[in-house]
Amino acid sequence: MNYRAAIWLSILIGFFLAEAFPQTSRDASVDNKLIITDSLSRTISIPSKLERIISLQPELTRIIVSLGGGDKLVGLDAFLRRYDALFKMYYPKVSRLPLVSMTGADVNIEMVLELRPDVIFASPFEFHIPDSLQNKIRKPVVALASMGRFKSLIQEIELVGGLIGQRERASELIQYFKQKIEFVRNSVASIPQDERPKVYLSFWASLTKTPVFYEPVNAAGGVNIAEGLLPSFLGTTETVIHLEEIIQRNPDFILVQGNFLPEERMVTVEQVLQDARLGSVKAVKDRKVFYTFGFWSWWDPAEVLLETLYLASLLYPEKFGQINLEKEGNEIFKKFYGMENGFSLLSGILKCNEWNKN
Amino acid sequence: MSGIRTKKIGLLSTLILILPIFVLVLSLTIGSYPISPKNLLKTLASGIVSVFKHSPPSIYHDIVFRIRFPRLLLALAVGASLSVSGASLQAFFRNPLVNEYILGISSGSAFGAALSLVFLGKGFPVQLAAFFFAVIAVLAVFLIAGSSDAPIVSLLLTGVIVSAFFSALLALVEYFANPYALQALFFWLMGSLSLATWREISLSLPLMVLGIGVLILLRWRMNVLSMSSDEARALGIDVRRENMLVIVATALTTASATAVAGIISWVGLIVPHMVRMMVGVDNRRVIPLSAAFGASFLMLADDITRGLTSFEIPIGIFTNIIGIPLFIFLLKKSAKVWL
Repeated sequence: MNYRAAIWLSILIGFFLAEAFPQTSRDASVDNKLIITDSLSRTISIPSKLERIISLQPELTRIIVSLGGGDKLVGLDAFLRRYDALFKMYYPKVSRLPLVSMTGADVNIEMVLELRPDVIFASPFEFHIPDSLQNKIRKPVVALASMGRFKSLIQEIELVGGLIGQRERASELIQYFKQKIEFVRNSVASIPQDERPKVYLSFWASLTKTPVFYEPVNAAGGVNIAEGLLPSFLGTTETVIHLEEIIQRNPDFILVQGNFLPEERMVTVEQVLQDARLGSVKAVKDRKVFYTFGFWSWWDPAEVLLETLYLASLLYPEKFGQINLEKEGNEIFKKFYGMENGFSLLSGILKCNEWNKN
Repeated sequence: MSGIRTKKIGLLSTLILILPIFVLVLSLTIGSYPISPKNLLKTLASGIVSVFKHSPPSIYHDIVFRIRFPRLLLALAVGASLSVSGASLQAFFRNPLVNEYILGISSGSAFGAALSLVFLGKGFPVQLAAFFFAVIAVLAVFLIAGSSDAPIVSLLLTGVIVSAFFSALLALVEYFANPYALQALFFWLMGSLSLATWREISLSLPLMVLGIGVLILLRWRMNVLSMSSDEARALGIDVRRENMLVIVATALTTASATAVAGIISWVGLIVPHMVRMMVGVDNRRVIPLSAAFGASFLMLADDITRGLTSFEIPIGIFTNIIGIPLFIFLLKKSAKVWL
């Protein structure tokens, strides 16, 4: 492995720089302005109370809505309206809000100016966008993302809560989030590392694309077999693994991202189970190949909690088998979005009841 | 040509022709999963004849016969296809800068793949859509240019136009694609051999072999087609028919390779040039040797992408990275070799 490390030294440096992305902080308050450092380490001065927000970052949009700030949103990108069936149900206003961008990168500047936002939330992935947009419209553009880390997600909720005048609500959600995660973590804490099940995650519509870091697996007492690998795409947690690596690391479980409409799934559990190349992998031999929610570039805080509980029940049925996921899921969605039977609806859309019938 | 030079070329040609066998054997030893040479030999032997008392673990069988072999066979076939197509089209167009994608095949197949991934879903496989639109692109070139014996410049320019048109359509599909399909599409566009299976090989290999076979059979006529049409006619060649055969065979070869492996650039440009540097410009040698050398080239390139990192680097990126400096080097070294 040494030669690999030597060859990719420069990439590692880039990776560590990228790891700095989730570090967000509220640095200081000056008059009615707040100085914050975003995920791209940019220092930005923004109004300490926001009334008009454009969000091009779905994770932040969901957080704003969950904190009760949905009425402050004046413009969005197209992601949630086009690809998140559930979001439309708990935030119907999304279909009436102006779309200022299709992809998050192609912003309609004139429309943005017309909407007079106090701030624009953007994604740190399109790292050229925030500065260029800010220079053009002379309004603060903040790039934030949790990058799949609980701690960063909590920081985001706290920061946004402060900015939209919902500190108490933010504290309440953070408390709830931490309590649920701690429950799972404490339940598996005594299990030695070498006895924890090894998990391979097939994400992003590909058998060989996998996250090198996925906190719900760790929290649920599993070991992600790709953890520690270098990401193929710098600044992300995504890598494309060799099939031989999967066989060599021999996971006990293979989890396929199932957070798609059934007709959109590019990789299915059935395909993995029938893939002769993986015939010697323990998970395939034991038929422990399941769907899981996973995430795209963006997390939904409610779904992250649900995912952690779901994974715990999958990896340790003897410990968590009693959890009623539908009841828990509905409670979580109610807590975050005030929505009755949110998980049941999501489950119906994703056909979760058909997920794990092997 | 002096006797020594002829002997040297003969020796080089033999070496190039047998090179893929050595590269294939070497490549079988490379991969993330450690298999000792002894176990590899045992696995290979047990795969051929099952008389061994102590057959190796089944995991070795899976790795060698289900992962490495199909992948290498695909690399071999795709490398040979792209190189032979490149060499043939360079001879046909009498232009050393022409590549295997000049007739709009890459843009056509990319658009087909995009259409399949974004709109058509699993009902219409990516490979089939890519192949279909690659053929449509070539047909469009013919229709617009007028015929297969249209002036070379007309065909070249029409190829550029058709490529641009399909690129625009691709951009349009990308714009409306959902992020999930877009990810899969980007991966496909970068070219990869990582998901090779026997099924894909059984579908694409016969087409590639057929195309390569036809082009190899036509190799001596390519020397004649490299002259002007009048000269070729004076030598008794049916220019229209031969042109049609060359174009159909290169389209078949490139489209079937691209459909299954994505867009792998530069192979059809640099391999024929390297071959010409070694054995001269006679297409009777260049065409078959390009097949052998291209096969070895792509297998070696794939070895590097498989052995260098724990993660998969799309081979299209790699051939781009090494292809450009290599081409500059060849250009400087062999400016006078081509014609």
